[in-house]
Amino acid sequence: MEIQPLVLLIEDDASISAFIMAILTANQYRALRAVSGREGLTLASSNAPDVILLDLGLPDMDGVEVLREIRAQSKTPVVIVSARGLERDKVAALDLGADDYIVKPFGTAELLARIRTALRHSPKSMGSEPLGLASKVIGELNIDYQKRIVTLRGEVLHLTPNEYKLLAMLSVNAGKVLTHDTLIREVWGLYGNDSHTLRVNMANLRRKIEENPGSPRYILTEMGVGYRMAEE
Amino acid sequence: MENQNFDDRPDPDRLLAGLEPEPGNPVGRLKIFFGYAAGVGKTYAMLDEARELYQCGVDVVIGYIEPHTRAETTHLAEGLPRIPPKTISYRNMALHEFDLDTALLRKPQLILVDELAHTNAEGVRNRKRYQDIEELLNAGIDVFTTVNVQHIESLNDIVENITKIKVQETVPDAIFERADKIKLVDVEPDELLRRFEEGKVYKQEQAERARRNFFVMENLRLLREIALRKAADRIGYDNQAERRTAEKMVSTRFLVCIGPSPSSARCIRWAARAAEAFHAQWSALYVETPDSEYFTKEQQSVLRTNMDLAAKLGAEIVTISGTDVVISTAEYARLSGITNIVVGKSRRHSLLQKLFQEDFEDRLIGLLPSIEVHIVPDLPARHAPGAHERRRQREQLRITPADTLKALAILLVSTLLSFLLRKLNLGDQNIIMVYILSVLVISRATQGYLYGVVSSVLSVLLFNFLFVEPLYTFTALQPGYTVTFLIMLFVALITSALTIRIKTEARLAVQKEHRTEVLYEINKHLLTTRGLENIVRLTNGTLVTLFERSVVFYTQIPVEETNGTVFVAPDDVDETVLHSPDEKAVAHWVFINQKRAGSGTDTLMGANAFYMPLLSQGRVLAVWGISCKKNELDHNSRLFLRMIASQVAMALERQRLSDEQRTILLESEREKMRGNLLRAISHDIRTPLASISGASAAILENKETLSAETKERLIANVQDESQWLIRMVENLLSVTRLDENAANLKKLPEAAEEVVADAVGRIHKRFPARVVEVTVPEEFLEVPMDGTLIAQVLINLLENAVKFSPEHAPVEVSLQREGNDAVFEVSDHGKGVAPDELPALFSGMRSHGEPSADSSRGMGIGLSICKTIVSAHGGGISVKNRPEGGAVFRFTLPLNES
Repeated sequence: MEIQPLVLLIEDDASISAFIMAILTANQYRALRAVSGREGLTLASSNAPDVILLDLGLPDMDGVEVLREIRAQSKTPVVIVSARGLERDKVAALDLGADDYIVKPFGTAELLARIRTALRHSPKSMGSEPLGLASKVIGELNIDYQKRIVTLRGEVLHLTPNEYKLLAMLSVNAGKVLTHDTLIREVWGLYGNDSHTLRVNMANLRRKIEENPGSPRYILTEMGVGYRMAEE
Repeated sequence: MENQNFDDRPDPDRLLAGLEPEPGNPVGRLKIFFGYAAGVGKTYAMLDEARELYQCGVDVVIGYIEPHTRAETTHLAEGLPRIPPKTISYRNMALHEFDLDTALLRKPQLILVDELAHTNAEGVRNRKRYQDIEELLNAGIDVFTTVNVQHIESLNDIVENITKIKVQETVPDAIFERADKIKLVDVEPDELLRRFEEGKVYKQEQAERARRNFFVMENLRLLREIALRKAADRIGYDNQAERRTAEKMVSTRFLVCIGPSPSSARCIRWAARAAEAFHAQWSALYVETPDSEYFTKEQQSVLRTNMDLAAKLGAEIVTISGTDVVISTAEYARLSGITNIVVGKSRRHSLLQKLFQEDFEDRLIGLLPSIEVHIVPDLPARHAPGAHERRRQREQLRITPADTLKALAILLVSTLLSFLLRKLNLGDQNIIMVYILSVLVISRATQGYLYGVVSSVLSVLLFNFLFVEPLYTFTALQPGYTVTFLIMLFVALITSALTIRIKTEARLAVQKEHRTEVLYEINKHLLTTRGLENIVRLTNGTLVTLFERSVVFYTQIPVEETNGTVFVAPDDVDETVLHSPDEKAVAHWVFINQKRAGSGTDTLMGANAFYMPLLSQGRVLAVWGISCKKNELDHNSRLFLRMIASQVAMALERQRLSDEQRTILLESEREKMRGNLLRAISHDIRTPLASISGASAAILENKETLSAETKERLIANVQDESQWLIRMVENLLSVTRLDENAANLKKLPEAAEEVVADAVGRIHKRFPARVVEVTVPEEFLEVPMDGTLIAQVLINLLENAVKFSPEHAPVEVSLQREGNDAVFEVSDHGKGVAPDELPALFSGMRSHGEPSADSSRGMGIGLSICKTIVSAHGGGISVKNRPEGGAVFRFTLPLNES
């Protein structure tokens, strides 16, 4: 029998914890709970969980600080659980190495999807996959990383080098949110920190791959944070 | 001799302070221990009193005590806490100075600072110790200090006359007047001399020198008398305070005429004393004449010193310009109700001048028979060197190639004309006339006297040589031609003089007109300028072009991060200099102390720029710094700056008032909105809470009896209602976000289509079954906005559309560009909005108490929040019904910020 993934939940609010724990157990995850940052760090190092769900508002220490300490020790995927409206905190956490975030209030399906994505991108599971993905299919979109060719419904799309880089970055990390800064850094290098260029390129890319850029299917916007490629 | 009734005295400063209460920062009180010579025991008396207060529990600190004092005094100082003096190295000497900053930081109740008249070493912030003390008082610290009579500014020259020693270190009378208590420390001159003999006053080596010069019975008696009288005057002054304020309006007014001569200082001091004695107001008048053009550097600086002196002694400084000093003075005196005029007089006029030229004061009396004129004799020793006289003469004897050419040409033409006249035999007298005319024309056309004089000589010689028999010799110079020559010479001189005067007057007039024009321009622009930034930009631009110096403008007290607005003039210092911590410290000081500082002043004179405050109603609205790297600002520039400053201060004040008004308006608007919201929420929130609470109670209490189906339905209800509450809270969060950012919403450029997609995505999650049709333009629209808030607007509108339209009808969202606006539209296929609901739709108020259907719950709040958010972005929101049914909500956002 396959060993079920272990999820560590660091969250101080009892009722939120209760329902997350209920969802996790009901979906065959093994779950651990910590009520403070310190406890969370101890449990993280002693139990080596597969995914950590981290609330940013903890009583004893700043959630961002907890994240920093976790990252100093391991590459365990961390999903931030935060309240809406605090984009800056989320971006900061993502830039510090968090893998994803989920906004309260969230539904069961959303939570489970985030955990699955995080597990898929974790170093543990990456180890079993061949290095250097050859190609990826998302919906009707097919990206061939070796030939650098993108086709939509079998037709080859003409993308500029930057548009291709954007699409490649997002598709490799499909399901994960990538912050504006990350994308700008990876595609344009350190010096092109101009979010306007990113938005224009994204708009052009969408016009090439989406049927309706106002209701995108592949590249979703996370307001104030970044972009996320759909996983379907 | 202590003056007890200081509390009743309506000191003008205090009256002002009363008008403008600063509760946290009362002004400290000053007590001066006043003596007539060193060694009378001022420091001793001061320490003695301080000690007593210290024992009563007052927080007393010694700020600075002169180290040369007597053993008894030193002994008395022991046991009192002390601020160690600051050591300043100056030309390899270690100088000890009072440490003002430590004192301000320490903030004792009472501080002792010896020697009010002391001049600080270079490198200390203030040049004079009394400025240090003013800062202490302004910080609310009481001060004890000491001073001798010869250091009082207005008595300076009297003391000098008695003792024949020039006292350099003086204290303005204002600080003496400001003192709340004056304690006269008196001792018999015999006793003082005895102390002196015993070496208690000065150390041995100094004693001999002092004795020869100063410590003579005669001097001491006189000094004592002056000191006693000054103290007595002070008490008399206090007693008359009530009468004085009323009297001042009508009684005497003194006017002192000042000029660039060092002897003016004497007149100024005399006038100050007289005005003090009469309790009268007084003004110092300087008449700018065309001659002012030729002032030497030295004279300019003397003039500035004189004006500063007059200002320090409390005069109102007036500068007017005119060609005739007497007429201008008389005119001013008549217009401003002057009763007494003080003029200086020296006996340097030559006998000849006396014959032809009436004396200044005689003409003045002639013009103003009802005004008293006081004549203060000039000291012969201080005769000003006629440097500017010489310079003016040099200026008037200048040779330029152009003028030489002109003169020669005119002479040539008149000679040719003369030949013609002789040919026609029209007589010698006409030839003479032609030459006189040529001299006149030359004098008019050239600069200075030189050409006129030379050409008159040449004319006579030419006439003699060419037209008088025997021809082509100078031999036949008849006596009659001497007269001709003299007439020509006079013509030349008079014409030249007139020309010179007209030219300088024209230049002055142009200069004056230019200034008036500049002021007018500034004023005109300031009137039409709105916004602090624009005022600053306009002012800086004007100053840089006018003075060709770099300018820095602070509208708030500079600290480390806040910088002023700098405009850099060509080849002058740039902002790295003007924003250096040292320069900022000066600007900071100016803000706090409301006084000018920096280069060319008495405070922080090491600075690179001259800083002045822009004041309005006793508040510093802004501070200017004008670079003095090239050279210091002259008197005229400062005067001009002051004029501009008053205009700018007015504009700033106007701006401040309108800003305040806008804030109040905004605040009340927001308050209104908040009130509406609260009312709406408290109404709306009750229902879902009741439903949640009821449903959960029903399940918990009736576990057994309820069917699984019912339980499920109840739980679904709880879920629905809590979802609704969550959305409501999100809306409220938006409002708080709007509130925090208040007037200036933090707008960042966002891709409009992404915001639409985000909102549609959320709605899709919430209502997976509903069809939302989205149309975005091919053109990429980037709109400055707070993306989260605009997404919230769209979500609210979409949610309404979903609720108010049939289940299978699609909801449409469209984005397009119209001119300079991005237009968002949300349309549905429902019943549309009832016409009677329209007016109150966005206001957050339910229309006249109509019982609300459950389904419309939250619509009012949602829409009012939408309106608030859109308005905060500078856009508009509206609704209309479609002819084919359904409502269209439409809002616009400006594409670029104006």
